[in-house]
Amino acid sequence: MPATERREKVSVRDLRFFYGDNLALKNISLPLYEKHITAFIGPSGCGKSTLLRVLNRMYDLYPRQRAEGEVLLDGENILTPGQDLNLLRAKIGMVFQKPTPFPMSIYDNIAFGIRLYEDIPKSEMDGRVEEALRGAALWNEVKDKLGASGLSLSGGQQQRLCIARSVAIRPEVILFDEPCSALDPISTAKIEELMDELKEEYTIAIVTHSMQQAARVSEYTAFMYLGELIEFGETSKIFTTPADQRTQDYITGRFG
Amino acid sequence: MVDITSDRIETGDRSVARAKALARYRIPDSIFEVLTRSAAIVVLVILGGVILSLIRGALPVFETFGFDFLGTSSWNPAKERFGALAPIYGTVISSLIALVIAMPLGIGIAIFLTELCPMPLRRPIGIAIELLAGIPSIIYGIWGLFFFAPFLQANVQPLLIETFGELPLIGALFAGPPYGVGLLTAALVLSIMILPFITSISRDVFETVPPMLKESAYGLGCTTWEVVRHVVLPYTRVGVIGGIMLALGRALGETMAVTFVIGNVHKVAGSLLAPATTISATIANEFAEASGDLYVGALIALGLILFFITFLVLAGARLLLLRLEKRAGA
Repeated sequence: MPATERREKVSVRDLRFFYGDNLALKNISLPLYEKHITAFIGPSGCGKSTLLRVLNRMYDLYPRQRAEGEVLLDGENILTPGQDLNLLRAKIGMVFQKPTPFPMSIYDNIAFGIRLYEDIPKSEMDGRVEEALRGAALWNEVKDKLGASGLSLSGGQQQRLCIARSVAIRPEVILFDEPCSALDPISTAKIEELMDELKEEYTIAIVTHSMQQAARVSEYTAFMYLGELIEFGETSKIFTTPADQRTQDYITGRFG
Repeated sequence: MVDITSDRIETGDRSVARAKALARYRIPDSIFEVLTRSAAIVVLVILGGVILSLIRGALPVFETFGFDFLGTSSWNPAKERFGALAPIYGTVISSLIALVIAMPLGIGIAIFLTELCPMPLRRPIGIAIELLAGIPSIIYGIWGLFFFAPFLQANVQPLLIETFGELPLIGALFAGPPYGVGLLTAALVLSIMILPFITSISRDVFETVPPMLKESAYGLGCTTWEVVRHVVLPYTRVGVIGGIMLALGRALGETMAVTFVIGNVHKVAGSLLAPATTISATIANEFAEASGDLYVGALIALGLILFFITFLVLAGARLLLLRLEKRAGA
């Protein structure tokens, strides 16, 4: 349940996003509260993944995509041209729709990210890798085969490896972009359990197509439709007494 | 009410019809199978035939000279004394230098085209690279002989001799007068010729890297270089090595362009600037005037050696890939 004392870790203000001339996000404003999980729901193409990709400026990789407005991380606008993207992405990690282990060993999948930022001796690195894998509830399954390729794991294990990889570099915010869409129900349950633990330390945003998942894991929910934020509020409220008719229609399955 | 019985009858009819259709296909199916299988076997037969005839043609040479044929560089058709060392040396060294030049260039261009190049420039540069591959080798030959070699002779080689010629160790590589034609010139022309292979194959395999995989590396805060170094290259190494080997195979066997610019001298000179010869250049130059079983046999034996070198390259590539895969633990 939402704590009484809550701090805005990320504040999105009047955000507009363009694919070329196409307006994909229309004046979005919402907060991500520190150490809480915020879910983004809405039909396909509503802009929820786009919003997530603005938060770590992933869109910068592609020409003709641009954002207007403000996204404040701890009060600092990350959309300014002077923003160091590498450092920003160290603070804001991301987990994708499909598991994306790097073509290297399990150990190196984790150590790789740490090495980008820290020059630490092997013994300390071993500790950090173990810590990250424990944090992603994967340690017991892989501790005897850390040298094996990350690709040799099952889909659910690969996704937890990706979460461990994000956690390992000690970010402040973790973005989940439909993290369970390629996973079976058991793996999904494990990831959801994991998110529940992760919110003790991290601010989490998750895009999901599953309303049950949003209801299960999040404290706040944003419903988006056609590039607009229709409604934002506490999850319990959104799912029981939505203010907007469109939210009501979507969560009761009348469209989307 | 749903009429279940009529439904069943319909299903029965359909399976009978299906069985008939399958029976009709049985004979064409088996004919197709035989055809495809024989096509595959024909390849093996042709390969075996080529190897056998090469071995038979080369037999008199190995009977006369034994393995000295591989180790001596004297090539005297008048006295019927033949040694393959000079062409082997020229073939291997010119191809290796070409590879050393073209590999970083080609992979670099491919990285630029897939990761860094502004969109409007990608197609024109890509097409230009592919056109480079489409130029017939005879054109590289005359260009090399009439323009490139004189240019090197006048501008580049004197500079190389002056700069490196006096140094210990590597000085010997750049000793002697600037002939224009020679081993280095051939290697440079070869490197231009194989560049498009390495570039376009590398580019194609770089494009197979899932965007999401690259994004997750960028998402950790990687720079473009780190993404290329740790994600794109490891992910695509099999394809890139395949492209390099294809290019090496092409360089080893390239005949026309090399014949024009290498000087065609049967000598193992220490200097890269000296004229030399390659296996394919020797064969192309001398086949018409070869008389006597031993002379023809020597040329065929050279062909067999080239075949063997190419085979070694391919086998080496396979081994390398196997070891890489083991190390990656897949």
